[in-house]
Amino acid sequence: MNMNITKIKSVCIIDDDPIFIYGTKRIMNEVDFADEIIIYNDGLAAFDGLKAMTKKGEELPSMIFLDINMPIMNGWEFLDEFVQLPNNNSENITIYIISSSVDPRDIARIHEYKVVNNYILKPISVEDLHNILKHVGS
Amino acid sequence: MQTLSITSLIKDSPSAVAILDTQLRFAGNSRVWLNDFCPDHESILGKNYFDVIPHTPEKLKSILCECLENGSRNLSEGEKFIFPSGKIQWLKWKINAWTNSDEEIGGLIVLLEDVTKTKRLEELYQKAERVARIGGWEVDMTTNFIYWTDITKDIHEVPRDFKPDLETGINFYKKGEHREKITNLITNAIADGTPWDTELIIVTKKGNEVWVRAKGEVEFLDGKCVRLFGTFQDIDEKKKTELKFLEATQRLEIATRGANVGIWDFDIVNNQLFWDDNMYLLYGIDKKDFNGVYEAWQSGLHPGDKIRGEKEIAMAISGEKEFDTEFRVVWPNGETRYIKATAVTQRNADGKAIKMTGTNWDITELKNTQMMLSKSQESFFGAFENSDTGMAIVSINGKWIKVNQSLCSSLGYKEKELLKLTFQQITHPEDLQNDIELLNQTIAGEIPSYRMGKRYFHKDGSIIHGILTVTAVRNINGKILHFISQVTDITPQIENEKKLTRLVDITSEQNESLLNFAHIVSHNLRSHSSNLAMLTKFLVKEESDEERQNLLGMLSGASDSLNETILHLNEVVQVKVGALEKMKSINLYDSIKNVKKNLNLIIQEKNAVCEINIPKNLMVSAIPAYLDSIVLNLLSNGIKYSSPDRKPLIQISSEVNEENIILSFKDNGLGIDLNKHREKLFGMYKTFHRNKDAKGIGLFITKNQIEAMSGKIEVESTVGVGSTFKLHFKKPLT
Repeated sequence: MNMNITKIKSVCIIDDDPIFIYGTKRIMNEVDFADEIIIYNDGLAAFDGLKAMTKKGEELPSMIFLDINMPIMNGWEFLDEFVQLPNNNSENITIYIISSSVDPRDIARIHEYKVVNNYILKPISVEDLHNILKHVGS
Repeated sequence: MQTLSITSLIKDSPSAVAILDTQLRFAGNSRVWLNDFCPDHESILGKNYFDVIPHTPEKLKSILCECLENGSRNLSEGEKFIFPSGKIQWLKWKINAWTNSDEEIGGLIVLLEDVTKTKRLEELYQKAERVARIGGWEVDMTTNFIYWTDITKDIHEVPRDFKPDLETGINFYKKGEHREKITNLITNAIADGTPWDTELIIVTKKGNEVWVRAKGEVEFLDGKCVRLFGTFQDIDEKKKTELKFLEATQRLEIATRGANVGIWDFDIVNNQLFWDDNMYLLYGIDKKDFNGVYEAWQSGLHPGDKIRGEKEIAMAISGEKEFDTEFRVVWPNGETRYIKATAVTQRNADGKAIKMTGTNWDITELKNTQMMLSKSQESFFGAFENSDTGMAIVSINGKWIKVNQSLCSSLGYKEKELLKLTFQQITHPEDLQNDIELLNQTIAGEIPSYRMGKRYFHKDGSIIHGILTVTAVRNINGKILHFISQVTDITPQIENEKKLTRLVDITSEQNESLLNFAHIVSHNLRSHSSNLAMLTKFLVKEESDEERQNLLGMLSGASDSLNETILHLNEVVQVKVGALEKMKSINLYDSIKNVKKNLNLIIQEKNAVCEINIPKNLMVSAIPAYLDSIVLNLLSNGIKYSSPDRKPLIQISSEVNEENIILSFKDNGLGIDLNKHREKLFGMYKTFHRNKDAKGIGLFITKNQIEAMSGKIEVESTVGVGSTFKLHFKKPLT
């Protein structure tokens, strides 16, 4: 393992696809990506959960993997709500959009959100996680 | 017996002679005296003068007495006496006293003559001379003495004692042609005795110009002219009138010739027709080619108008109808001309027609213009009637005066019905003001015509789109008579345009949805395939049997999901390509009832109530499979997303408006926050509740199906209260 790699303290996965969640968790464990993995199955659940954490004064996960196509509240809607949360460590939160969509309109849309760091096409791979860790470390 | 002998001598005197004694008794008389003055007496000898002639004028009585007394004589060339009875007598006398041998007055000798007849004639001549202003004159060539009567002097405005001679007489004639002419005439007369009779101007002593008629004759003696005499008449007034008349006649002639007016004159009494020269011109013939005017007229008249022409003249003579007509004449070259003729009939005191005076003038040009006009009118009305464009003649107040068939059929009215309306009544209110503004500008003469797109109401209430062109028709004074409106019905084009726009909209909508669809497909397939790839990778590496079992389970799930997705996509594609021709008229109630039957199990499970409030005979136009699918989706949604807090109630009802049948599904379920989700509600794979069986495909397909049937879907919803979905179906074609 490279010395530059820093382990993420807490990562949050927001996705409605149980298979994706299973796979991502499994890979994260393989690469020892984070100390803690928080899972939400849709945008609303995530928003409610994160909001509750803020209220309790807890520190939010420093990295969020966000799916776009989700029931009830999709990824974009989540972002709209999330940026408005009074948040003590929002600057340190890195958000990655993880989607199967190759729709250029979706990819273009990430630039509208400052909090979004990058767009990762599903499935997520070991290399993707390594790159993320490298980026965070630098 | 001397005395006796004298008396007997007197007796046979040719004059009326009487010898009176001192007692004025007749001592002798001629037979003529007895005849002329005492026809009732056989003998008057010894009788007193006044006894025999009792009505002797007083003047003569005193003259007789005076002569007797004084022995004087008295003479009269003629004296006029008017008797109390009114009788006029002119007497001429010579009275002498005679003396006897003693030189004493023995009596009177009276010579009396009744000159009444001569004097009366003379007086008449004088009067006539004065009244006719005819004077006489005479030149004695031997003495060169010239004599003028008073009237002649008066005409020359010279005093009565004026003494003319031949030269001064001639010099009164106006210098120039008049003086030359009279000089020549007199010279000729002296030379060869030719009398003259001429009308010339003299300049009077006072400088006035007067027309005179001078007549003269000569008298010869032994081949030598000894005397000139004649009359001299003032004809100034007559001459001037004559000249004026001549002038007027000439003016009339010029006018009639210029205006091509011929004048004719028919002397009914003598059956004589007279034409002026213009008449011959009008008939295109030469005067000398015909024996008489009547012949000329008969030859010129068009055969078809002869009988009528004669009849009309007869009617004018009888007084039945004024002569005012038109007829044709045929010129010798075959050309037909139209003549307008009018005449005035003159009648005598008994009312009998004696003369007709009339005019003819050529109205061929006018007639031709009239015919051309009527032809152009004919062709206008022909075009008007047969035009494919709607055409109308519209009065200033907007009333239809005349409409053609095309306009009637465009607007759906019969001609009679349309003529009762105004254009305002059938114009779309939104277009009326613009139309009227333009019309007013046309009336004011600011624009000659206008053109606008406008909408009319068809008799059945539908809208007719037209392009209206309005042109004002004015008379020669610029006053508007009416408008000609042309309406091109562009309703089919507008309808096509609308269809086209709708088609373009649908196409671009479909393009959009196809693009979305492609991305959705790609996304869904990718998500499943990536899952499959990932799971397979894990499976290859995985050593734990338990975990492998888990992975295989997930693999199978992922592959089922992939399958399901493909089925959905297939279903969507089916909807997208669904054709309208499969539309049928379906009984709505029956369809819903059937679907409800299939869902009975879940309805019972959820303890739900489903009310269907739809007329049992209500028909909609729909694709049967789509209708079933839509009803199944909405009904099952209503049950699926029911509120756990209350007993599910789904009410299905319908309403019918002009164009559509609206089917409502009202539930009392969870409701959807439309502020957040309205846009995504009908999207593919959008779910709004954490229901296990929420697939996010039902409403997407429902929307596609209803739109494929040219309908639409609307939603109203309140979170926690319930939702109402409204479906708009087409009415079946009847």
